[in-house]
Amino acid sequence: MSAMEDLVYFLRKNPLVMASGSFLLVLLLSVIFAPLLVNYTPIELDITEKLAPPSRDHLLGTDYFGRDVLSRILYGGRFTLAIGIGVVSAAFLVGVVFGTIAGYFGGIVDTIIMRFVDALLSFPALVLAIALAAALGPSLTNAMLAVAITLSPQFARVARSQALSITVKPYVEAAVCVGVSTRGILFHYVLRNGIGPLLVHASLSLGSAILQTASLGFLGLGAQPPLPEWGADVSLNLQFIRESPWVTLAPGVAILLTVLSFNLIGDALVDWFNPRQRKED
Amino acid sequence: MLKYFLRRLVMLGPVLFLVLVIIFSLARIIPGDPAASLLGPGATNEQIEALRAQLHLDENVVKQFLSYAGGLFVGDMGSSMKTGRPVFDEILSRLPATLELSIVATLMALVIGIPSGVYSAIRANSSFDHVNRTLSLVGVSAPAFLLALILQLIFGIYLGWLPVSGRLSPYLIAEPITGFIILDGIISGNFDVAWSAFLHVLLPASVLAAFLGATVGRFVRTSMLEVLGEDYIRTARAKGLSERLVIFVHALRNSLLPAITIVGLKFAEMLGGAILTETVFAWPGIGRFMFEAIKNRDYPVIQGNTLVFALLFMLTSLIVDLLYGYLDPRIRKRMSR
Amino acid sequence: MGLKRGFLFLLSLTLLVFGNIVTGQADDRLKTLVVAVNSDPANLEPGTNKAYPIGSEIILNVFDTLVAWTPPAFEEMEGRLAESWTVSPDGKEFTFKLRDGVKFHDGTDFNAEAVKFSFERTKEINPYMKANFGLISSIDVLGPLEVKITLTKAMPVFLSILAQPQAAVVSPAAVKKFGDDFNVNPVGTGPFKFVSYTPDTSVVLEANTDYFRGASKLSRIIFRVIPEASTRRLELENGGIDISQQNGQLYSIPVEDIKAFNKNPDVDVIEVPSQIFRQFEFNNSHPDSPVNDVRVRKAMAYAIDYDGLLNGILGGTASRVYGPLPTNSWAFNPAMKERAFSYDPDKAKQLLAEAGYKPGDLKFKLYSFQGNLWGSICTFLQANFADVGIDVTVAQTEFPIYRNLHTTGQHEIAMDGRQPWYNDPDAHITIGYYSPLADSAMTFRMPEDAELDGLILKAQATVDFEERKELYFQIQEMIMDRVPAAYLFSNKIIVFKRSNVKGLVINSAPPLNEYWSVYKE
Repeated sequence: MSAMEDLVYFLRKNPLVMASGSFLLVLLLSVIFAPLLVNYTPIELDITEKLAPPSRDHLLGTDYFGRDVLSRILYGGRFTLAIGIGVVSAAFLVGVVFGTIAGYFGGIVDTIIMRFVDALLSFPALVLAIALAAALGPSLTNAMLAVAITLSPQFARVARSQALSITVKPYVEAAVCVGVSTRGILFHYVLRNGIGPLLVHASLSLGSAILQTASLGFLGLGAQPPLPEWGADVSLNLQFIRESPWVTLAPGVAILLTVLSFNLIGDALVDWFNPRQRKED
Repeated sequence: MLKYFLRRLVMLGPVLFLVLVIIFSLARIIPGDPAASLLGPGATNEQIEALRAQLHLDENVVKQFLSYAGGLFVGDMGSSMKTGRPVFDEILSRLPATLELSIVATLMALVIGIPSGVYSAIRANSSFDHVNRTLSLVGVSAPAFLLALILQLIFGIYLGWLPVSGRLSPYLIAEPITGFIILDGIISGNFDVAWSAFLHVLLPASVLAAFLGATVGRFVRTSMLEVLGEDYIRTARAKGLSERLVIFVHALRNSLLPAITIVGLKFAEMLGGAILTETVFAWPGIGRFMFEAIKNRDYPVIQGNTLVFALLFMLTSLIVDLLYGYLDPRIRKRMSR
Repeated sequence: MGLKRGFLFLLSLTLLVFGNIVTGQADDRLKTLVVAVNSDPANLEPGTNKAYPIGSEIILNVFDTLVAWTPPAFEEMEGRLAESWTVSPDGKEFTFKLRDGVKFHDGTDFNAEAVKFSFERTKEINPYMKANFGLISSIDVLGPLEVKITLTKAMPVFLSILAQPQAAVVSPAAVKKFGDDFNVNPVGTGPFKFVSYTPDTSVVLEANTDYFRGASKLSRIIFRVIPEASTRRLELENGGIDISQQNGQLYSIPVEDIKAFNKNPDVDVIEVPSQIFRQFEFNNSHPDSPVNDVRVRKAMAYAIDYDGLLNGILGGTASRVYGPLPTNSWAFNPAMKERAFSYDPDKAKQLLAEAGYKPGDLKFKLYSFQGNLWGSICTFLQANFADVGIDVTVAQTEFPIYRNLHTTGQHEIAMDGRQPWYNDPDAHITIGYYSPLADSAMTFRMPEDAELDGLILKAQATVDFEERKELYFQIQEMIMDRVPAAYLFSNKIIVFKRSNVKGLVINSAPPLNEYWSVYKE
């Protein structure tokens, strides 16, 4: 089967993945083309229109400053997607480098790195992220950094086990014999052949990266006003939930749908790469 | 078994050490003078000096760490910068609230997660299974604060069935015995208190249980499916045992093992969610204490709370491991070798 | 199958349980007042309380002061623990005759020794009171119920200061007994006795049946800690709390709640004008900052849409202020109404051009307190400044950091407010503009100015009323020349209460309530 056929088969077997994929694609396009879709900027005030219910002018109503909620969601979506990808890439990079080194070299290097990984994994992820973000000071970049640090040990674990299983393969041993440099081996053989499971793990992490960064935003440790970030917007509008639920629920539901979509896809990918499950289907 | 337990404890040593190192470094990861950075951009020299003294910043790093770690052994986590009271006491007085919440949440999660996972596995690929699996992903994906708000609105306000916040009706006074108000109410025979506390815990516990229950359900389903495919189940069926007996006696017992592990592992993640949940529900536990400390930049409190969260996590992992070893003779043998 | 039946059973059981919820006994509830507060009360006694509002309110209910403002007008002083008093002609000696037969909650007697003990203790350990109590040169016990306080110089506001919670009288025996723990075990003479403090949960007080002004009709007060404004709102609606003072620290925007509660017969909204003051201020003494140029300061003051802020963001919960004093102060200079800045973006742009700044040249960090209302005001100002080409980022910081920023003068622009604790222009002017206080209080950062400082000291010590008022008129003019701030508004004190709560008297300076007169129907 070619890769394309594989993909089509995969999607047909998983209608929910199809739906999630479409949702994310629509989201991606709308955040890119947000200026064409909404007539308002996310920070433009119109005090006379504050807390207006959803209408033709404002499909999701307006917030306390008369800012268009839809435009805040769309522009905020730019941050959300950037957060997801940025955080996971950073975690990926850090985790994979250390994990691969640990797995390849083994011995004392492995022990030190992995005990450190164990220690990082001994914290509830959100707690560690909060503590780090609080230490670094409240800003979106710091929040992302904090979440990336908490996610990286899992990548390190996956990368290490990949490296362990690959280093004993004949072609790697052959490469060592013909004198390929250590770095060359690491990146050529170990990383390239272990990339599949790592990517699956990355797709699973996208959801939690977004969720955690939004949680930091909700606690005031992430994006600062007037940046339209979904988590921060929920907490900003919390006080209006009784009379104008849309201002609070809209960004909250946006987080839910995006995270859910990433999780559905990640979940299906795990099944897909798990041979035993695949046989059963 | 004892040998296994001891080995497990020894393995914990280095990790615990590194955990302490990480928490210790939290206050020092910022470039420049940590005391000045902690106090923010406008601290006076006196305040900086006072904090430097409190954090022992003038000694060398190893000494600083040793005095920090040494203090922990005698329950000294420093003093809260806001109230001046010892962080250890402050955390201790709030810990029962968080434990009560998370225990109730865990029970709820098991009550929801196990049956739904089992049923999903028996009826794999039925519409119940699909709906259940999707719902469980929703449970994992929903931000705790959103769920909290929605439950508060529906059950607290629109329906008016449950209290919106707090741990106990303000009109009732609980005699603190264990600190677990529901238990204290029952022990002291004050059933109004126990009942009120029970009603108060339902909503916040549901928020945490949504996450844990969803996770448990997914794992029970997977492991149940695996077990149902094993030879001995086929043998049992072939022997003509009733389907119910096969499922509940043979399959369920064996598939619960992974569920226990996952409860243990996810318990800690759920505790992280408690920071958000306790804040929205005004639940007086360590999660909210952490939130207040963040607002006030009360660093000794943030460090203390982080440590307690990590210790709780390590403790549950340890218990789960032991339980697992105890329940699964294969592991018990292997590990004691 | 059986499993399905099991689910249904569970479901119906749950519904049964939820359908039958009963809580508390009605009789008990009528004697208990539940007051929502937004954070854990800290420092429940005068010696350690540095004007933290929640702790201060609890102090007012557990302790008594020598004198207090007379409700409902709060214009005259009445005796509390003092039966009467005299002031020497030079304004330096205050002699108090104390009430006889008053006992502390621990059964010990209230007397002149207790007054001396309390004031000396507070003077020594409470830095917040240093500026005022520091002027006390001696406290003499003239008899068991007579005490004389001597100041180093005249201070007409001294009596007002004695009405503050930080000047309450504590039980010396209890201080000895509890030591450092006295701040969570307060013992006074007040209408309520302290019962318990549960961190992050509540403070419980019970009625002092022997209170010298008569026992309260309530038997208990519970201060319930609920940090989220939205949760307080839901609790009030549900009857989980009786009183919520949403506006105390400006943590939430009450406008929308007022609208909703006006429709709700179970909830009353009380709005009382206050002397609380909010401004956008500059650091005039920052040597390298563009705001050192008065044209820039003026430009920014002209850029603000004052009416939009009042009507849009604050929706009638605040009134305009014009100069350094609120319009309801007796020393307010009416000329300020003419001198105040108005919304004029063109003039702002012109002034910036004169000062040599093109649009986009100026970038500032606006420091502010935390909380939603502060956030909203900042967001609004940010948009105003963007309109005239000034780029402002908002940094909402925690109170301790914020205070430090001010006292060290590291900011360029900041939001600020003043909540006067006593009813006198001195509460705004001295703490706000007297430059020697710059490093310890939240004073406007203005370069040292001997003329202004001299005038402030003179006004503080002048006993003649008309003469004093004239001095404050002059001071207001001088301050306006220097443009230390754009004065924004004075917000009303807004209290939400369940409609069956009666007898509540709202106090505006300080904005703290005494619950002695309250009862429930």
